[in-house]
Amino acid sequence: MKSKYIVSLLAFMIAVFWNPVIAQEVQSMDEFQKLKQEVELLKNESDSYKPGLSRFLLRGYAHSGLQVTDDEFSFVGGSFNPLFIYKQSDRILFESELELELVGGEVELGVEYANMSYLFSKNFTIRAGKILVPFGIFVPSLHPAWVNKFPTAPLGAGHDGILPSNDIGLELRGGSYLGNLKVNYSFYAVNGSQLNDGEDEPEEAGILHHAIFPDNNKGKTVGGRIGFFPFSNSSLELGVSGMYGKVGAKDSDLEDVVAVHYAFDLSYVKTLTPLSSVLDLKAQYAGVNVDDAKFPDHENPDDFVTFDNTSTTWFAQLALRPALVENEFVRNLEFAGRYSALTTPEGSEWEVDDSQIDIGINYWLDWRTLFKVSYRISNSSAGEHDEEPGEPGHSEAVAGNAFFIHWAIGF
Amino acid sequence: MKKIPIIISIFTFIAVTVIISSCSSTNSLADAKSGAQLWGENCLRCHNAPSPDTFSDTEWDVAVMHMRIRANLTENEAVKISGFLKTAN
Repeated sequence: MKSKYIVSLLAFMIAVFWNPVIAQEVQSMDEFQKLKQEVELLKNESDSYKPGLSRFLLRGYAHSGLQVTDDEFSFVGGSFNPLFIYKQSDRILFESELELELVGGEVELGVEYANMSYLFSKNFTIRAGKILVPFGIFVPSLHPAWVNKFPTAPLGAGHDGILPSNDIGLELRGGSYLGNLKVNYSFYAVNGSQLNDGEDEPEEAGILHHAIFPDNNKGKTVGGRIGFFPFSNSSLELGVSGMYGKVGAKDSDLEDVVAVHYAFDLSYVKTLTPLSSVLDLKAQYAGVNVDDAKFPDHENPDDFVTFDNTSTTWFAQLALRPALVENEFVRNLEFAGRYSALTTPEGSEWEVDDSQIDIGINYWLDWRTLFKVSYRISNSSAGEHDEEPGEPGHSEAVAGNAFFIHWAIGF
Repeated sequence: MKKIPIIISIFTFIAVTVIISSCSSTNSLADAKSGAQLWGENCLRCHNAPSPDTFSDTEWDVAVMHMRIRANLTENEAVKISGFLKTAN
């Protein structure tokens, strides 16, 4: 009887004290389920807005400014380069950079690159489409306005330079380690450059034109770049690039003419603690050798001209930013200097032996927005035909000494 | 121009060596580095290192994949850098 009494008492106590708790728990469970459903709903809605799943991630850069030369004092429109990136999956990425530029009062629209990448393995990516040709260091890594320390490209690089900038083809690239030596690599096959035969433009006979489509022959140009990092902190990168391919038009006298491009580049970024600064050194030496060929002599149509079709260009650039000092204004300053030179074939109509010194001060508003103030000293010793005067508003074509104030923003 | 085949042969040899070697596993040096360290070392080679609070996690996924290809990062490096950049969110 005593045990029955105790059981009854316990049952009574549970009924009295636990019922509200149970009821509260049941209510909490309902609320939890409801909340869970709402979170799931929000997650699905959020997922639909993820860049790459339903829309492009929009990045890019823009720049504009003022340039002053002996003949010109102009605000220049600069350019706007939107970069569209679409992540289709963990292995597939599409990206395209457009360039909208004001040139001579008109808008020029170009496709810098547009390609699809497939991450084949941990160390390899296959890329197809229009690519930035991995040749040297300037075009593949330094050309965006907010990355370039100066408003303009060094001689020989960039648009209208003697070096390739972009092309259509297939590329294999990646990074890996040889022991403790880090390396990166890019190998590609592209349409390649096209040799101007001088028939329509005698003054440009022998010039290589890049990024012209479709190809003028059935041969593909192959090339690559390998970068080595001798130091464990990756502060120094040494690169070597090569490119080989036929450049003459099919079924022409120049069909078998071959061009070889080569380049050596260097990048060194180091924090200098005694100076509370970051040192950034970049350099590139590049050359182009084209087989000897005969071109029409525009002064004597019955005759031909030939010359050693070899060009070289190089630049060295040094920047110092006191990024570690306490004063915010000084911390955002950057001092930069660059020397670049270009030599084109002696005896050609486009013979030049030019050099430029650029000196600049940059002010960083944040990590990707800056103002650039620079002065250029040009030394031109053109051959028979002087360099064409610069296109108004097109900084890369500005000839002679010049003063620039530019802003650039990356986003 | 006669030296061209030699140059190409040397270049090809180096290329093949690198390709074969790259098929091996990752490196202890890279494994020992943190995401923050890799972020500083790799980004600064070309531009200022981005502030981690610039993008959301999903945006960083896309941006880092883009830079993995652009800067020839290994998968291991990209994963670590991405992990570091997301810590601000």
